[in-house]
Amino acid sequence: MALTSHVTEAAFIARRNQDWAELERLTQRAANQDVSALEVQEVTRISPLYRDICADLARAQAARYSAPLVDYLHALTASAHSVLYALPPRPRFTFSLRGKKSAFLAFPRAVRAHWPTMLLAAFLFFGPFLFGAIASIAEPSFAFRVVPESQLRPLVDGYAKGFATGRQAGEGAMMAGFYVNNNVGIALRCFATGIFGGLGSAFYLVQNGLAIGAILGYVASQGAGGNLLLFIIGHSAFELGAIVIAGGAGMSLGWSIIAPGNKTRLASLQSAGRDVAVIVSGAAVMLLIAAAIEAFWSASSMPAVVKVIFGATWLLVVLSYIFLAGQDEPWERT
Amino acid sequence: MMGEVVHAPLDTDVAIETPEHIVFRHRVAGPARRGLAYLIDVFVCYFTLFVVGIVVLLASGAGDIVDRMQHAPQTTTGMGVGLMLVLLFVVQWVYFVVWETWKGTSLGKMALGLRVVTTTGRPIGFGGAALRNILRGADVLPIGYLVGVVSMLLTSRFQRLGDLTANTMVVMVDRARATAPVRLWPPAEPYELASIPERVMLDAEERTAIELFLRRRGTLGPAREEELASMMMEPLVRRHGIHPPHPGVHGGPPPPRPSRLLALLYERAANAGRGEAPTSSRHEAAGGRLSWR
Repeated sequence: MALTSHVTEAAFIARRNQDWAELERLTQRAANQDVSALEVQEVTRISPLYRDICADLARAQAARYSAPLVDYLHALTASAHSVLYALPPRPRFTFSLRGKKSAFLAFPRAVRAHWPTMLLAAFLFFGPFLFGAIASIAEPSFAFRVVPESQLRPLVDGYAKGFATGRQAGEGAMMAGFYVNNNVGIALRCFATGIFGGLGSAFYLVQNGLAIGAILGYVASQGAGGNLLLFIIGHSAFELGAIVIAGGAGMSLGWSIIAPGNKTRLASLQSAGRDVAVIVSGAAVMLLIAAAIEAFWSASSMPAVVKVIFGATWLLVVLSYIFLAGQDEPWERT
Repeated sequence: MMGEVVHAPLDTDVAIETPEHIVFRHRVAGPARRGLAYLIDVFVCYFTLFVVGIVVLLASGAGDIVDRMQHAPQTTTGMGVGLMLVLLFVVQWVYFVVWETWKGTSLGKMALGLRVVTTTGRPIGFGGAALRNILRGADVLPIGYLVGVVSMLLTSRFQRLGDLTANTMVVMVDRARATAPVRLWPPAEPYELASIPERVMLDAEERTAIELFLRRRGTLGPAREEELASMMMEPLVRRHGIHPPHPGVHGGPPPPRPSRLLALLYERAANAGRGEAPTSSRHEAAGGRLSWR
């Protein structure tokens, strides 16, 4: 492999370095700020300059020019490549946030496309939920096996008082922070651990269902159940719905590894990942809505009738959104 | 000739072929470097949280904050605590997603020259950033990113579960700066070049070896430098049939030192060919710049 070149390195550099400098300047500005920071004529320069530097790199490699020159061209090609291909013609992922409508409809479509795991998640959550509630009403001490007694007793006192005073503004903000951090965190963790064959998600669903059911049953058995229902009715459609959806998405992720079909397990996981990214983002938004309602509405001193109507309306809205929105087109992976 | 040494790329390199059929390589970052970047991010996040906490404490009167939260949650205290909890959420779940969607890197990664790209070398979008970061929830298990580290060690691109799912990898940003090519200094004298064949053919390895040596000249002691150069000289001299000039018995100029001879060989090999490059396919370049950085 002899060193052959028809052009000396110095001549090559002298002839081409002006273009390289221009490309370097443009890619650096595009990378530091944004492609939109460039003038139109500058943007149109990138593509021909990039084609040229690709040729230059190939030429330099073939001619075995010195390593620093090849490295330099290499790095410049790589950075120009990342600028030029930063915005591929198709959306980078399954959905784009630019088209609000498409993201809005993509979520329920994706959820419905994964209905088997969603159904399973609903059973895994509401089964233990009902069991915990019924068992705690029948035998209140059952709840202590699930949730520590020291946490349950203050709850009863709290809900027995009712909502005559409502919450102070500061307390509402504090609780909003708590719900955002705690509930969204639980849902995201519930989803993430689904990658272990769905087991993590299943565990979180059962655990949360059982605990929430037990709390509900215990508070009801102590005579404050009506107040607790009034508290949760406003946000439960969003919150419980999002937990089930996030858990179902996690189990879809796990199932994609267990039963990859005619793909490799990795390819199956990645294609499921694109779907569930949409689902989990939607579930997170649902939980943020739930946190706002729970903090600023659920404990307010509104009349019971208003709270029931409010909660029922949202339940209807959420259910019809999940089941009906975007029916005109099936969910399609891109 | 002798068997060619295959240039095996480092096993932490990932080759990426562009639509233009140009192949370039990304060097993948390993667990240690990524762990360090993560520690920087964690420090930045919790330091911010700490500062906000101090401000909240001062704003709410710096009294017995726990007591007041329990018995009389005042507006400022409650709002402060709420803000802290929201910030905690942001730190845990939002910080990385926002940075990686926006810049393709986080502050810690930026500090260590790391970047998140798809396995085809493209920037990741919101979907990819969200997925790989939500799955941190699985990678941190059971403690200290154990699952993530094991996953990294089992995959050729050092991918944790989040990377595998989102089809991303963390690479080192190649910021190769242009360095000047090796120049012969002082310039070759005609009599020096006379002892060297008109056409010197060096193979890629020889050329790289000489270039590396010439670039390191001056960092070694003169004696060591000449010793190394003479060791490199021998096979070259034998192969190319170069006859180093005899010691100046005839009172002529002294023979070149081995390092000088290497530089002359390099100069001859590198500068063989036309001194003029073909023009760009698009436009006539109006004369190059005087010096190339």
